[in-house]
Amino acid sequence: MSTKVRRVYGYLAEFKNASQLYKAAEKVRDAGFKKWDCFSPYPIHGLDDAMGMKRSILPYFVFIGGLTGFCTAVALAYSTQVGLYPTVVQGKPSNIFTIAAFFPVMFELTILFSGFTTLFGLLGLMGLPRWNHPIFASEQFAGVTDDKFFIAIEARDSQFSADETKALLEEIGGANIELVEDDSE
Amino acid sequence: MAHFITSKDIPADGEHLDKSKVAKLQNICGLIGGVGTLVSILLLAFTGGTFQGAYAFSWLFAVFFVLTICFGGCFWTFLHNLSNSGWGTSVRRLMENLGFVFPFMIVFCIPFLFPSVQKYLWEWMPAYATETAAHPDYTASEALLHSSDPHNHLLAKKTFYLNPVFWHVRFFAFFIGLGFFIWLARQFSIRQDTDPNPGTKNLFAARKHASWSMIIFGVSLTFLALDWVMALDFSWFSTMFGVYVFAGSALSGMATLILTALALQKLGYLEKVVTKEHYHIMGKLCFAFTIFWAYVTFSQFFLYWYANIPEETRYFILRNTGNWNVLSIGLVILHFALPFLALLRSDLKKKPLFMVVICIYILVVHMLDVYHMIIPERGPSVGLVTHQEKLELFGSSFQVFGDLVALVIVISGFLFFYLRNLTSVRLYPNRDPRILESANLSN
Repeated sequence: MSTKVRRVYGYLAEFKNASQLYKAAEKVRDAGFKKWDCFSPYPIHGLDDAMGMKRSILPYFVFIGGLTGFCTAVALAYSTQVGLYPTVVQGKPSNIFTIAAFFPVMFELTILFSGFTTLFGLLGLMGLPRWNHPIFASEQFAGVTDDKFFIAIEARDSQFSADETKALLEEIGGANIELVEDDSE
Repeated sequence: MAHFITSKDIPADGEHLDKSKVAKLQNICGLIGGVGTLVSILLLAFTGGTFQGAYAFSWLFAVFFVLTICFGGCFWTFLHNLSNSGWGTSVRRLMENLGFVFPFMIVFCIPFLFPSVQKYLWEWMPAYATETAAHPDYTASEALLHSSDPHNHLLAKKTFYLNPVFWHVRFFAFFIGLGFFIWLARQFSIRQDTDPNPGTKNLFAARKHASWSMIIFGVSLTFLALDWVMALDFSWFSTMFGVYVFAGSALSGMATLILTALALQKLGYLEKVVTKEHYHIMGKLCFAFTIFWAYVTFSQFFLYWYANIPEETRYFILRNTGNWNVLSIGLVILHFALPFLALLRSDLKKKPLFMVVICIYILVVHMLDVYHMIIPERGPSVGLVTHQEKLELFGSSFQVFGDLVALVIVISGFLFFYLRNLTSVRLYPNRDPRILESANLSN
């Protein structure tokens, strides 16, 4: 028998279907919880509203990333092709009026930088990559990739309480309520 | 989240646009459009000289501008049916009504059948007639090769397509072909309204026929643009031209749909079924086609600019002569950069006032885009210009006046037919199986 002390991750409750999950999510939101999440095998339209999630700040990062890419391209093309080493092809001028030739570069770098900012910004905001997640300790959670719907309320939420949170989950229709403990070493 | 719409919220016999509410506007538009068109037809048929030539270009500009909007309506109707979409069911009837203005537009196109108009607009027609008459023993192609004007040699290679008989056949084929298919799409939708056994029969039929309707649409738009606009200068060719016109059509069509939906909501219709989510999606489509327009326009310009082959660059040289390059460069900022930045934010696309402003703006810049396609050819074609330096952006004030008059007349006529379509049927397909899905849209 292990005597190790384990950290409590939170409560996990199963819901019958997407509609039940949606309604339960609205109630958890109204109860004022902040650190909790819904799990479903497929995306549910409008669930982010039901969870009371705010818009991500990612678009602002991407806009700045794209703008950086655009400016980099202008600077790169202009400094090399007009300033440092003009490549004169077919009598095209080597001044600002050659800008049409720079458009593909501007376009590509804007897309590239926005793409990178999207990918890495997303990973950063989600805290990925990570080796493990405490919720994987739950055996029944494997069903979420198949046909199960879950809500998990984390213990680090300031409103979390061992009894009241369990009562709330029961009240809103949660089944198989489980206290998940972090089993990672 | 707003109240969840159920079938109880949808009136059983649908919403009808009250005729008395728009009767005044429709009558005024009908009067301006009707009298104006009649006077214009008479002017284009019987006056002579430079006035006639200049006004022919004004008329083509105005008609083509409105035609692109109707093409946009056809495109969104077919696309909505073809892609089996659910989001836009509540605005689908508006698309159908906008697209169905297209067959009526033939009324405004009558002047293009007059030889007195054709000789100014499409110079290959008089060249073809003169050379075939001068060399009766040869085929048209050989006759043009024997012409003393070297420009006609370029036409010689194109006589399989650019010959008067085929041109006139195509003229009617566009209106009959696409007109029939948009009528059919709208008819399936209307039948659903009164179907005693409501179901998916008409919906699936509309989807099935949308597949080839879309092909007819693509062919009609491309070749109409080639026949009427690209052939203004028969020696020039661009494989991108049809796509370029299409990008503007889809954009301005969507802007018109947003304006219509907003106007109807202002009058108290569509309140249950059209929400800010719909404006968000339609705004996103405007945004997408703003970028697509820029992409296509630039790729058309870029390859010709880089390759720098004389017979390919004619179009762009003309549009960079005199002060026309103000408009050419201006369009990059006005038609792409400004709307791109304005439509970037998602919360703005959900604000009705903002959408009204940006949609009107899009229609105005699209009008400038069509102006830029057609009007620069006027100077050389009508013979008003003797020196290249005299190519002015807006020509004489008299010509600009003609452009504006033609625009007002044709837009009035368009509004008349559009309002006729809107008042004749229910404003949204209230018995479509997906109307609730659309009303409760969330994205």
